[in-house]
Amino acid sequence: MVLGTDEFIPLARAQVAARGLPGLPVVTVPHPIGGIPAATVAAKAGPIVESVLRALTSDPAAASQEASAVADDVEAPDDLDRFQAWLMDRGWGDGLPAIPPTRKRVGAMLAGTRRRPDETVTLLVPRLGRATVEAIAANAVMAGALPEHLPVVLAAVEAVADASFNLQAVQTTTHPCSPLVIVNGAIAGRLAMNAGGNVFGQGTRANAAIGRALRLTLQNVGGARPGKEDRATQGQPGKYAYCVAENEAASPWEPLSVERGFTEGDSTVTVCGSEGPHNINDHGSTTPEGIVTTVAGTAAIAGSNNIYLGGEPLIVLGPEHAATAASSGWSKEDFKRAVWERARMPLARLAPENIERFAAIYPEGFKDRPPETLAPIARDWRDVMVIVAGGAGKHSAFIPTFGSTRSVTRRIAD
Amino acid sequence: MRIVDPIGTSAAAERALAPRPRSLEGVTIALLDNSKPNAGMLLERVGALLTVRSGARAVRAWSKPGASTGAAPAVIEEIAAAARVALTASAD
Repeated sequence: MVLGTDEFIPLARAQVAARGLPGLPVVTVPHPIGGIPAATVAAKAGPIVESVLRALTSDPAAASQEASAVADDVEAPDDLDRFQAWLMDRGWGDGLPAIPPTRKRVGAMLAGTRRRPDETVTLLVPRLGRATVEAIAANAVMAGALPEHLPVVLAAVEAVADASFNLQAVQTTTHPCSPLVIVNGAIAGRLAMNAGGNVFGQGTRANAAIGRALRLTLQNVGGARPGKEDRATQGQPGKYAYCVAENEAASPWEPLSVERGFTEGDSTVTVCGSEGPHNINDHGSTTPEGIVTTVAGTAAIAGSNNIYLGGEPLIVLGPEHAATAASSGWSKEDFKRAVWERARMPLARLAPENIERFAAIYPEGFKDRPPETLAPIARDWRDVMVIVAGGAGKHSAFIPTFGSTRSVTRRIAD
Repeated sequence: MRIVDPIGTSAAAERALAPRPRSLEGVTIALLDNSKPNAGMLLERVGALLTVRSGARAVRAWSKPGASTGAAPAVIEEIAAAARVALTASAD
């Protein structure tokens, strides 16, 4: 049986259902159990003992029929206004108006790929939903995507399902992470994607629609509904859409795709389990060392998952900062090493209870360490990711991640 | 109008659950800590109270390697071999 807090009931139920055990009993105590005194935790045990005993000694309901592999079409209201309300009632929307994925529209969307509609691209957790090409196309229609956007969405769905991405945790955690989609190569230009000014902002259809199509697919096929299986405490605006292209033309360095072993110009998508971007303002620095100082000062923060879970924090350099960082012949590797060496959090600036918790999770970094110890923002300098994006101006962004997740790069099929 | 189902189907195959013992008398209870803060503490307390209440023989605890990673298959097999019933946790 599963013991949880009342707030986490929907996630526990989804989890046992995805494991094929919908009859597995779930018993709850009042939320929370973390971050409260031990005596308060212990006091929550007494009132549930009878329920636990009953759950462990009563036979659960028998298994029902296995679900069908093919989804039937669904009858929806014809009126567009009523359709929006209907979609939200079913838990299939994100709050913004969606285009009805009629057979005709999904058919037009499917023209964007050579893959068969009934091909299962992957299974998406926590629901173990079958992400068929058709189901992804339906969500792409709802998101306002065009057929030529579909190959990027398909590659992104494949990427988030890679085991190293840890989609189960990214989808269900209380942390505000969401897959950040980074597009490299020729396709970014063909789709008129924004890699320049306001790159994380509004105003470009491809960025908005591809990011939103991935989000709707994760929520609907993956079964991570906000406030239910998606347990985000606050979430972040990137959970509507979070998609950029790297500004390869304005970068002094090799693009991310080339770092990942692809040839320059190859169309790729990279997904990261990312927080929202935090701005790095530096209007003064004229040297790489200056940029490193400001970036490192912004990146060394007490409340980041990366500090104790590791993972790959991302630095998105605006082109002007990148040009300064690359002056004096600095390579991207030089820049990463310098930031990693400088971006340190003194243990004296962390809460003692947190150091104790970090020490249990990562003893090498935090157990019995003196307060002057400097904790790095990643386990290794190679884990610091750097891309160039944005337009004119002296701003960059720091984007920590969920920590227990690795970025994944996939080629986008023609 | 008819629309394409945007959630599609699930590959979750239902499996039968093992029959439960009539009582926990003489039974070993397994606890699987999900490695969230204080989860182990709550499970241990429930296990201790349950033992007193039901006459269980023993309580044994296991844990996941981290809150966001699953238990190793070997651990699940160990629990299945060592205990008749198991409690695990899901929450913060």
